[in-house]
This record gives sequence, structure tokens and C-alpha cells, in this order.
Amino acid sequence: MSGPLAWSEWLREAEDPARASEQPEALDDLLVLDCSVAHYGGHVLAGFLGELGAEVVKLEPPGGDPARAWGPADASADGEGLAFLAEGRNRAYATLDLEHPEGAALFRQLAARADVLIESFPAGQMDASGLGYRQLELLNPRLVYVALSTHGQFGPRARETGPEYDLIDQALSGLAFLTGEPGDDRPEAVPTRVGSWISAYAQAGWAGMATLAALHWRQTSGQGQLIDVSGAEALMRYLEYTLLLYHTAGDVRQRMGIYDLAVSVYTFVPVKDGWAFIAGYTDPNFGAICRIMGRPELTQDPRFRTTLDRTQPANRTALREEIARWSVTYTASEILAKVLADPGPGVVVFGPVNQPTRTLAEEHWWVRGCLGRLEDPIYGPLTLALPAWRMTRTPPRLKVACRPVGYHNGHVYAKYFGFGPERLAELRARGII
Amino acid sequence: MTAERAAGESYFDWAARLFDPAALAVKPEALRGLRVLDISVIIFGPATADFLGELGAEVIKVEMPGGGDVTRILGHAGCFWKNVSVAFFPQNHSKYHVGIDMHHADGQALIRKLAARSDILVENFKPGTTETKWGLGYRQLREVNPRLIYVANTGFGQWGPFAEGRASYDGLAQAVSGLTAISGFPGALPTKVGNYLGDWFGACMSAMGALAALRWRDRTGEGQFVEMAQCEGLLRALDWTWLYAGLTGRDRPRTGNRDPIHVPSGIFRCRDGYVAVVAGADGEFRGLAAALDRPALADEARFRTAAARRAPAHADALDLLIAAWCAGLERAEVAAAARAHGFAAAPVMDGGDQYRDAHFRARGSVWELDDPVYGRVVDYGPAPKLSATPARHKWAGKPVGWHNHQVLKGVLGLTDVEIADLERRGVVGRWADRRGAKPPDEWKGTPPVL
Repeated sequence: MSGPLAWSEWLREAEDPARASEQPEALDDLLVLDCSVAHYGGHVLAGFLGELGAEVVKLEPPGGDPARAWGPADASADGEGLAFLAEGRNRAYATLDLEHPEGAALFRQLAARADVLIESFPAGQMDASGLGYRQLELLNPRLVYVALSTHGQFGPRARETGPEYDLIDQALSGLAFLTGEPGDDRPEAVPTRVGSWISAYAQAGWAGMATLAALHWRQTSGQGQLIDVSGAEALMRYLEYTLLLYHTAGDVRQRMGIYDLAVSVYTFVPVKDGWAFIAGYTDPNFGAICRIMGRPELTQDPRFRTTLDRTQPANRTALREEIARWSVTYTASEILAKVLADPGPGVVVFGPVNQPTRTLAEEHWWVRGCLGRLEDPIYGPLTLALPAWRMTRTPPRLKVACRPVGYHNGHVYAKYFGFGPERLAELRARGII
Repeated sequence: MTAERAAGESYFDWAARLFDPAALAVKPEALRGLRVLDISVIIFGPATADFLGELGAEVIKVEMPGGGDVTRILGHAGCFWKNVSVAFFPQNHSKYHVGIDMHHADGQALIRKLAARSDILVENFKPGTTETKWGLGYRQLREVNPRLIYVANTGFGQWGPFAEGRASYDGLAQAVSGLTAISGFPGALPTKVGNYLGDWFGACMSAMGALAALRWRDRTGEGQFVEMAQCEGLLRALDWTWLYAGLTGRDRPRTGNRDPIHVPSGIFRCRDGYVAVVAGADGEFRGLAAALDRPALADEARFRTAAARRAPAHADALDLLIAAWCAGLERAEVAAAARAHGFAAAPVMDGGDQYRDAHFRARGSVWELDDPVYGRVVDYGPAPKLSATPARHKWAGKPVGWHNHQVLKGVLGLTDVEIADLERRGVVGRWADRRGAKPPDEWKGTPPVL
């Protein structure tokens, strides 16, 4: 029944990223308008929906989205900030001044035809301009309107509008409090930021999920709706039992540094060429660590005999030191080879703390289509993370990395309004596009 | 509604009414009528199914009779509350708990029947396990249900050099993806993110992928196989890391609590905890300078533009000023100053702060359940707010096999005699008499029967 090919071979063929263009796209009947400005969550969400096949039109203010300047100071591509470029994929770049009455009129016509609208203005701003969900649903009851912000569209803090920053969201979410070294005896023993703009990705994930659920419901009801997603709450929902611990025991969950609250071994150790992660917390898995280290007697040490013993703070530290004394004498690759060669019983989870350039050197991500290099006619050679999902029937894909301000005006205004060069020149001269 | 708008209802009053939690019960659910068969364990798979359940899908969680899912006994160093590990609840809301032994041929037959009647299946076993060990792989189940959306979550993916023989945990995904390397303070120990981020973000993406597949099925009737990997999800969430490494050949530096782009920014100690402060745009920085009672700073060449403020020496100088200012204040005072002067600040919240926060309560982001077995349970509520089809929690996780009757009889139509026979042979079953698996000691009722 399962056919002549082994599962992994069959699936590799069925998912082959190189052959995505032979397959249809899940969302290729949707029109998404992305009006988010200076907002990374909106930028990422537009990309997620675009990767899955939606036609996405980004409507930028004629001066360009200020987020185009976002990037490290010491590198850019054709002047474009690398942060913007990294997530600017799969959309048409049009300009439109929503504050100009004629611009607003054009926007209403587009919104009347759109399936999804993404915006990130301060709560109530679009409404005050007559372009909020309250007004647009009268033109297009099927519209799914996605509003992104730190505090949301309702609740006591909703009126505290302002730009949404990842660091603020990480702080409110509780993730910053839980991350980093415990105590307060060293400069780094403070609540710690996750290095990427992770709240924007969490927000985009939730908003994308909610949008697709809303579209499914629209299928039967014919009705759109307003979706409100806070970047702070997006991350907060990932915090496991933090709240339950407080509810049930009155305990405030604390930072654990390089350790895990519930299990041990589950930590970072030094290796000859940097750092590595190692885990094995059930008895058989811990036994495997000891065997690979050539220290089988450690399983009989009264400090390390059971999961509970190994998780006691003093024992946990002592155990990590035992492992570190061994691990630091090998490279991460040498230890991984030992781990993979171990016959069992038990399984050790091990891998290097990869610097990004080292991740780029690993074949796995390229073969699977997680990373890609493309030669862009405008921006030159680009190394990008490709879509995260593998799908056998509607594989997501990267089509275009990014384009400059207003690059697709000709196409978008011809397609939706029948405007040609003459009309566009006039709109441009009046600052509307 | 038109009349109300004519009467000048403010946006915030209108929004509060639109999202009024009191109207929850009369509003439909986006994924009503969809069945999710959750045969997964620990967090990554169960959370994927949980998120779909929040949006209204019926989720059937299959566990081994007796002990059930391993998160029932993991958690806060063996901290149990009413015989539940608190680590179990957050990814197991409103599910139907059924105990079926998938190692048993008759158990596999039950799963096959349930899969034939389900829309989405979620698993997170090692690649190939469901197919070769249990005959429940995608290639087998699509034979009984071509409309099935089969969602498989793993560490490294189903195929490729790292996929075979290599196990993964969340911490490993953080390490190999590059996330660890770009987080935290230069020179310090590696930073382990305080939650199982790869599981949770991966689950979020996995559920989104499942719903994209559902849209395709709504259009064509076709099911498909969808996979999501922990490492690959995190790798996708590192913004400009890859572009930078590709263009420069260098690794982006760790910048501690300073946002790499929006400066000044950081986490600063107050009298009553920590506060995050960001003043990225010029106007915001002008506001911050005013709050610091140093308005002239905004006109100094080294601080006048965003580019100038980002120079490390300039940013360091600003951090010292902000730190000194925050040290004498409480978190709420810093946040109030930010509102008054137009920059961004917020308390670094802990679980207790969130528990007491009126805003999160009003939004249902802190959600209070009145559970028939456990009583009052306060947990994080659904993150996205949908005006017409609000996401919700209905009940808390239940002991192993709690809903055996609803599922075996209500869905599959088995008779009491058949169920008793399956129970006798250990194919289906309820909880063992141990903490994590069983009901609270003080609970005197019986599980629901049909």
C-alpha cells in the first residue's frame, strides 16, 4: 500500500522544492492589501501569505516605507536595509497616499475587491480617516481586516497607541523576564532579549493562522471580520505554564540561564570549537550520555541516579561540569559523530551552537529548500530563508525577493483601475502615488 | 450600526462592543465542524492541535492508556496541582481525551477509522514512524481519506542529511538554527531562550500551514501532507541574519538588550523591577531627551539622527543616562513618562504581573475557566482576537481516556459490549492510578458516558 519507495525517498520527491512550479498554490485566489508601514510583523505576514500563493499588493506612502531603512549599519543591498529586504518577498510594490482624498478613494475601491487587508497604524487611525473596518465592511462585507499593534484594538491599554517595537513586545510578553542568566550579580544577569525580532514573527504566525481560519469561515458564511493581533500577546501565548504556576502555587517563574526547569541534562557545554547543546534526561538517555563519555559509573552516582536527582540545582551544576570537562576536549563534530555511532539504548540530543555562517555551511538546509541564494537583478546576490513549510500539493515558494518603492505601480494600477502612463504621471505629479 | 456611528460612537467604544467577551456564547467558531485527530506528544504537536481547537475545531487527543502523554509527568520539578502537572494544560485545552494503544493492531484500526472521519491529523514522531511501525502513515491514511490534511512536525524535517537518526529537542533547534548565536550578551554564556520557542513558534506555523492546506481543500477537495520542523521554523524567524552573513561573510554580532536597529533601546533596572525602553525615531528620541530632563541632547550631533545614535559609543552614552534615570523610578512611572513624551516603554512583566493585569484579562489573553473537574483555572488565552468568530477555551485538559465514550461511541458508533472488549484487551483504556494521569483526589464523579 505504501509503494515501492521508502517513505523518505517518496516524500522527498513529492516535496521537491526544485519542482514547486509544477504544483498549484494554496492561496492563489486571494488578493491581500498590505498597508502596514514601519511595522515588521505586517511585513512578515504579507510575505507568509505571498509564499503560500496570495497576490499581495503593498501600498506604500509615496515617500516609501520608513522600514526600508531598517538594517545593520555596515551592510545593505542597493541602499535597501537588510531587515526590510529579508522579508520583502512575493508582493507587488505600489504607492498610494491614503491621506490624500483621491488616494483614499482609490484605496476604498481596492479594499472593496480585496480578501484581506493588513494594517499597523495606531488603533483608531484608519477609522478616523474613514478607512477602518467599520467603514470598509460596508463596501466589502467579505473583507478580512487584520490590525496589528502592541496593545490591540480594545482593552484598557488600547488607547496607548504608538509604534510597535519588538523589544517592548518581548518585555510585555514575559519572554524577556524568563530569558537570560538568573540572579543579579553580573551585568548579563538581567532579563534578556531574544536576538531576532521574534515578536514580529509570532504576530505574523498568529495573524496568518487567524486570517486563514476567517477565510474558511467566510466560505460558508460569506462574512469577513476584524482580526486584532498584539505582538506582545503573540509571544505571551508561547509561555507554557508561567501563568498556571502562579495560579496554582503562587510561584513566579524565574530565569534559568543555560538550564531547564523541568529536566536535566538539557544545557549548553563548551566544546573545542565553541559551544554545543546536549540533552539526555530520561534514565536511558542519560545512560547514553555517560556511555558516550566513557563514564558509565556516573549513572550510579547518588547525585545523578534519577531524573529528579539530576534536576536538583546543585547536582545539575555538578553534572554539567562533569560533561564540560569531557566535551571541551573534542570539537562539536567529533562529539556528534560519537553520538550518531552510539548503538543505544537511549538517545542523546546533541549539536553545535551554530554561528550563522556555520549554519550556512551545512548541506541539510540547502537540500531541503530552507535556505536559498538568488541573483537578483536589482539587489544582486541574496541569501534568504525560504518558506518554512513543506507541502506535497501546494508547496510554498519564493518568487521575488523585494522591489523598490512604486516598482509595480504600472502593473497594479493597470490591473485594478485601467490606468495607463498618462494617468499615472498625473497622479504622481499630484503626489497621490 | 449606521445609526450608532451617526451618533458618533468612538472607535474604542465601538471596538470594545465588537469584541465584547460577554457576546462570546452567541458567536460562531471559525473552524466549527472540523475534526482534528491529535496523535502527537509533548508540546510541538499538541500545541498545533490546540491552536486549531482554540479556533473551533473539535480535537481528539489520542494517548497511551494508563500514563498518557509524557508532559503529564514533566514540568516544574514534579509540581502537581490536583494531580495534574501544570506543564500539561497549556497545549491541551478543550480536547477530547481518548486512550488508544497504537502499538496494538486493533488500536491502529481504531485510529484508521478516526482518520477516515477527520479533516486534519497531527503527529510529531520521528520521520517514518507512523508508516513503518503502525501502518498509520500519510500514504496509508490517504487511502481511507483522500481529503485528509496530514500534519507532521519534527526537529529537522522528514528527509535530508540531518533527518535520519538525529533526534532533536527545542534547545537543539535554538542552537543549530543560529538563534542562540545571535541572542544575548557578547562574551557571556550562550543564551537559552526561556521557553520552548521552537516548539511554540513551530506549532503556530504548523497550524497556519494546515489552514493553508484547508483553503486548498475548500477549493478543490484535495488533502495533502504538510510538514514543519522546529529548526526550520526558527531559521525562518531570524530576520536579516542570513542576508548579512551572505553579503559580508560575517556573523551578526550579539547586541544584548539593545535592539540592533532601533536605538537607544534596552532593558533597565527600576526600583520595582525592569523596564524596556525604545526611542528609535527622531521625534521619539526628542521625547526621551525631554523626559530625561536633558532636551538639548536631541540637538547634539552625536544624537541628532538615528544613524548617529546607533554608533556604539553614542548608544552606550545614552544607555548610561537612561539607566540612571530609570534607577530612581518605578516601572509605571517610566511607562507614564513614555506616554507623556511620545516614546516607547513597558514593564518587563513576569507571570504574576500578567496574572494581575486588567488589560490582558479584558482581552481574554489571560483566560479564566470554570472547569467541571478542576474548578477555576487561569491560563493564557487565545492570542488572535477575531470579531465574528472569537477563539476560546472551553475546558481544561482531562485525565487519560476521559472522553473514551464520547469518541468511541459518539464518533465511531461502537457498542458498550465492543468497548468493554477493547478495554479488557488493553486496546483502549483510561488513566492509571498515578499523578498526572488520574483525576483530582477530591473529585468524586465519573467521566461522562453516552
